[in-house]
Amino acid sequence: MSTTGFAPVGTVVAVRRRLQRRYALVMALLAVLTLAAIGLALAVGDYPLPLAEVVRSLLSPFTGNVEPAGDFIVLGVRLPRAVAGLLAGGAFGLSGVLFQSVLRNPLASPDIVGITMGASATAVAAIIVFDWSGTAVSLSACVGAVVIALLIYGLSWRNGVTPYRLVLIGIGMSAIAGAVVSYLFTRARIFDVQEALAWLTGSLNGASFEHLAPLALALLVLTPVAAVLWRSLNALQLGDDTAKALGTRVELSRLGLIIVAVLLAAAATAAVGPVAFVAFVSGPIARRLLGPAGNALLPSALVGGLVTIGSDFVAQHMLGRNQLPVGVVTGAFGAVFLIYLLAAAHRSGRGG
Amino acid sequence: MSVKAVAAAIVAALALSLPGVALAQAWSYTDGSGKTVSLDHVPTRIVAHANAAAGLIALGIRPVGIYVDSPVADDKSLEGLDLTGIEIVGEAWGEINVEKTAALKPDLIVAEWWPLDNAWSGLNDKLEQVSKIAPVTGPAQGASIVTLIEDYEKLAASLGADLSAPEVAADKKAFEDAREKFKAALAAKPNLNVLAVWAGTDALYVAATAGAAELSDFASWGMKLVDPAVADDRGYWETLSWEQADKYQPDLVIVDNRSATTIETAKDQPMWTAIRAAAAGQVTDWPAFWLRNYKAYAGALDKLTTAIAAADENLGD
Amino acid sequence: MAEAAASAKGLAPSARAGGLVVLAGLLVAVLVLSIAVGARAIPLSDIWSALVAFDPSQTNHRIILDLRLPRTLVGLLVGAALGLSGAILQGATRNPLADPGILGINAGATLCVVLGISVFGITQLSGYVWLAFLGAGGATVAVYLIASLGREGATPVKLALAGAAVTAVLTSVTSAILITSVETLDQIRFWQVGALTGRTNEILLQVTPFILAGIVLALATSRILDGLALGDDVARGLGMKVQRSRALVGLAAVILAGAATAAAGPIAFVGLTVPHVARAFTGPNYRWLLPYSMLLAPVMLLGADIVGRVIVPPGELQVGIVTAALGAPFFIALVRRRKLAEL
Repeated sequence: MSTTGFAPVGTVVAVRRRLQRRYALVMALLAVLTLAAIGLALAVGDYPLPLAEVVRSLLSPFTGNVEPAGDFIVLGVRLPRAVAGLLAGGAFGLSGVLFQSVLRNPLASPDIVGITMGASATAVAAIIVFDWSGTAVSLSACVGAVVIALLIYGLSWRNGVTPYRLVLIGIGMSAIAGAVVSYLFTRARIFDVQEALAWLTGSLNGASFEHLAPLALALLVLTPVAAVLWRSLNALQLGDDTAKALGTRVELSRLGLIIVAVLLAAAATAAVGPVAFVAFVSGPIARRLLGPAGNALLPSALVGGLVTIGSDFVAQHMLGRNQLPVGVVTGAFGAVFLIYLLAAAHRSGRGG
Repeated sequence: MSVKAVAAAIVAALALSLPGVALAQAWSYTDGSGKTVSLDHVPTRIVAHANAAAGLIALGIRPVGIYVDSPVADDKSLEGLDLTGIEIVGEAWGEINVEKTAALKPDLIVAEWWPLDNAWSGLNDKLEQVSKIAPVTGPAQGASIVTLIEDYEKLAASLGADLSAPEVAADKKAFEDAREKFKAALAAKPNLNVLAVWAGTDALYVAATAGAAELSDFASWGMKLVDPAVADDRGYWETLSWEQADKYQPDLVIVDNRSATTIETAKDQPMWTAIRAAAAGQVTDWPAFWLRNYKAYAGALDKLTTAIAAADENLGD
Repeated sequence: MAEAAASAKGLAPSARAGGLVVLAGLLVAVLVLSIAVGARAIPLSDIWSALVAFDPSQTNHRIILDLRLPRTLVGLLVGAALGLSGAILQGATRNPLADPGILGINAGATLCVVLGISVFGITQLSGYVWLAFLGAGGATVAVYLIASLGREGATPVKLALAGAAVTAVLTSVTSAILITSVETLDQIRFWQVGALTGRTNEILLQVTPFILAGIVLALATSRILDGLALGDDVARGLGMKVQRSRALVGLAAVILAGAATAAAGPIAFVGLTVPHVARAFTGPNYRWLLPYSMLLAPVMLLGADIVGRVIVPPGELQVGIVTAALGAPFFIALVRRRKLAEL
C-alpha cells in the first residue's frame, strides 16, 4: 500500500484508515461498556453478597466451591438476567437495524411495521383467552411474529415488493393486531389484563438458561447469515436501480434479510416479551457513533444489549422501593441516548 | 453406650438448649392446587401474597414479608391491618423481589391458587425462582369467601395459630352476628332484587353471581341477585352499552368498591339514573373480590344490611 | 418513487370538485345514521320528537340528546381533525408513516391523563380533556425543540426520530405508573382504546373552538405543504422560510390532533391512513388533499362507530378497535390495488 504518489489515492487510504480506526474504537467502547454493565448487574442486588462471594460463585462451576444460597442468587438469578438482557437486546438491535436498512426508513423497525404487534396479539390472546403461561405464551408470540411477517410480505407482493408498500401494509397489519390487543384488554378480567400488560412491557423476570437456549441458538445461526447478506444489503442501499445494475438479486437479498430480522425479533420477543424501543433505537445510535464508518451490524447488536442491560439495572435498583420490568425503562434510557446524539450531531443526520 | 448413641444424645441436648428452637416437628399441608407440601419443621418465616397475608394476619400468623400487586395503600384486602415490622418485597404486579425474598430466608411462601388460570397469585413468571427459595402453597380461590377464610383457618392452625384467642374469636363472632342480621334484613324484604355492577365510561358491566365468591355467599344467604343471562365466558360480566343501562331494574345497586372512582364514574353517566334504584340513591358498596377475613367481612355485611333495610323493595321490576 | 407518483394522479382535475360533493353527501348520510342507529332500537318518531320536543322523563329522548347527538358531533369534529392533522403532518415531515403519534401527541396526552387519574384521582372524561391537551402540546414542543438542536435544524428525519424518542420516554413513564397502579390501569384501558362513548355536550363545548381554529389554520397551509413537498432546498429556492413554515404546520397539527385526542382518546389509525386513501383520489396536490382528508376521516370514524354500536349487543365495541379492524383490511387492499402516490 503506497501512501506516496497520487494524492487522491493517499487521501482515500488515509480516510479508510481513519474510518477503520473509528470502527474499532466504537466497537471497543461498546464492548467495554457492555462488560461493565454486566459486571454491575452481577455485583449489585438486594441480597447482601460481598464481591468476593460473587466471584467465588461465578467460578464455582470450575472450582467446585459450591455455596447454595449465594450460588442461587448469582448463578440462578443475576447471571441469567444479565445474559437475557445481552442476548435479547442484541437480537432486537440486529433485527431493528436490518429492518431499517432494508426498508430504508428510520421508523421502520419491527415494532412499527407490525412484527412485534403480531407477536403481542397472539401472546395476549394466549394469556387472556386460553389462560396459557410460560413457554406456551412464548411459542405463540413466535408464531404470531412469523405469521404476521408472512402476511405482510405476501400482501405486499405485486410484481415484487417495494419498501414503501411493505411498510404501509405492515402498519395496516399492526393496526389490526393492535385492535385485537385493545379488544382483549377491554374484555378481560383485570387480573388477566395485568398479566398481559406485564408481558407486553417486556421483562427479564424469571430468566433461566433453559429458557434462553432457543434465543442463543437463533443468534448463533442467524448472525453469520445476516453478516453474509449484509454485503448485498450495502449494495441495496444504493437504491434498487443501482443494485440491479450491480447484478444483485435485490428481491432475494431483501427477502433473506427480512426473514433473518423477523426470526431474530421473534426469538427475542418469545424470550423476554416485546421490550420497547430497543429495536428502534439501536441502529440510529450505532450509526451516529460510527459516523460514516460503515457496517452498523455488530455495533447495533452491542448497543441493543447495552441499552437492555443498562435499563434493567435502572429498573431493578434505581427506582425506589419498586422493581419494574425492563421494558418500562428501555424507552426512556434509549431515547435519552438518542436525543443526546441528535443534539450533538455535527454532520447532517443520516437516515437510519 | 455406643459412639453413635452418645453423638445422638449430644445433638438432642444441643437442640433442646438452643433458644427458640423447638424439637423439629414435621409439618405438611395439602394446598388448593391439590399438592401436598411437607417440611421437617413447622414453618415460621412466611412470605405471603397480600391476599394471603390478609387472611393469615387476622388469625394471628404474621408473615416476615408480603408481596403486593399494587402499592400497599391501594390494596383493599390489607386495609386496616397492622403491617409494622413486615418487609414489603414487591409492590407491582408480578414483581416480587426475588433477592429480598431470599434474604428474608423464608421457609414457606403462601399465595392463593387460581384454578381458572392454573397459577399462584402474583408470582407470574417468577414462580420458578421463588419456589427454589421455599415451597409455594396456599388455599384455592373458590365459590365462597367463607370457605376461603376457613381454609386460612386450617392453614393458620397448622402453623401454630391459636384460633380461640380472644381477638380472633371476637372477629368470628362479629361476622356471625353480621351474617344473621344480613339474612334477617333480606328475609324482611322478600321482593328486593340486587344488581352488582362495575361502571366504566364505555359501558355498564353487570356481574354474574358465579364469577364472584362473595356474591355466591350473598345468594346462599337469601339475596336475590340479578344474574345476567349472557355472561361473558371468561370475565363473568355482561357488558351493557349505556344506551341499554336500564335493561335491568333492580331495587338495590351494589357497585364494585375496589376503586373509589368506580361509583364516581357511574354517577357521571347521563344514563346512570335510567336505573330507578340509582336515581333513588339505593346504591351501596359491593366488596368485590377482596374480602379475606371475618372482620372485613362483618364490616361489609353491616353496610349492606343498612342499605337493604333502607331500600324500597318495590322500586324495580 | 417518481414513477409511482406520476401514475397516481387520482381523479381528473375536473372530477375532483364533484368527488368532494359526493363525499360531503356521504358524510351527511353517516351523520344521520349515527343519530338513528345505536345499541338500543329507538323508533324514528321518537328520534324526531326528541329533537323538536325534548321530554327529559323519556329515556329514549335522553339517549338521543345526551348520548347520540354529542357523540355524533364529537365524532365529526374528531374525525375531521385527525384526517387533516395526518395529512399536514405527512406533508410537513415528508414521511408516509407520520401520524399524530409521531409528534408525541398520543403519548403526551396519555401520560397526562394517567397522571390525572393516579395522582389527582380525576375520573371524569371532561376532566381528561385539558390534561390530554396539555400533554399533547407539551410533548410536541419537546419534540420540536429536540429536533431543532444541532446544526441543520428540524429536518424531517430528525423530527421523526425526536418524536419517536419523546414518545418512548413518555410511554416509559406511563407504563411505570400503570404497572404499579391497578386502579389507573382499570380506568385508562377504556380511554386508551379511543372511543366516542360517554362523550357529553360538555366535552363537545370544550374542544369545538380548538378544532375549528385548527381546521382554518390547516386549510390555509396547503400552499406551504405543496412547497415543502418539493424538498427543503427547492422550497428554499422558491423563497420559502422552510423552518418557519414547518413550525406553522406543526402548530396546526398539534391543535387538531391534541383536541381530537383530548376528546376521544388516542385513535391511531385514522390520521395515518385517511390521507393515503385521499391521495388515491386527489394525487399529491394539497389544495385538494386537505379537504378530501377532512371529509373522508369523519365518514370513516363515524361509520366505524356505528358498526361498533350494533355488532356486540347489548354491549358496544370501541371505535378505536373498529377503525383498525375494518379500516386496516380496506387500507391494505387499497395499498395493494393502486400505485399509491408517494410523498
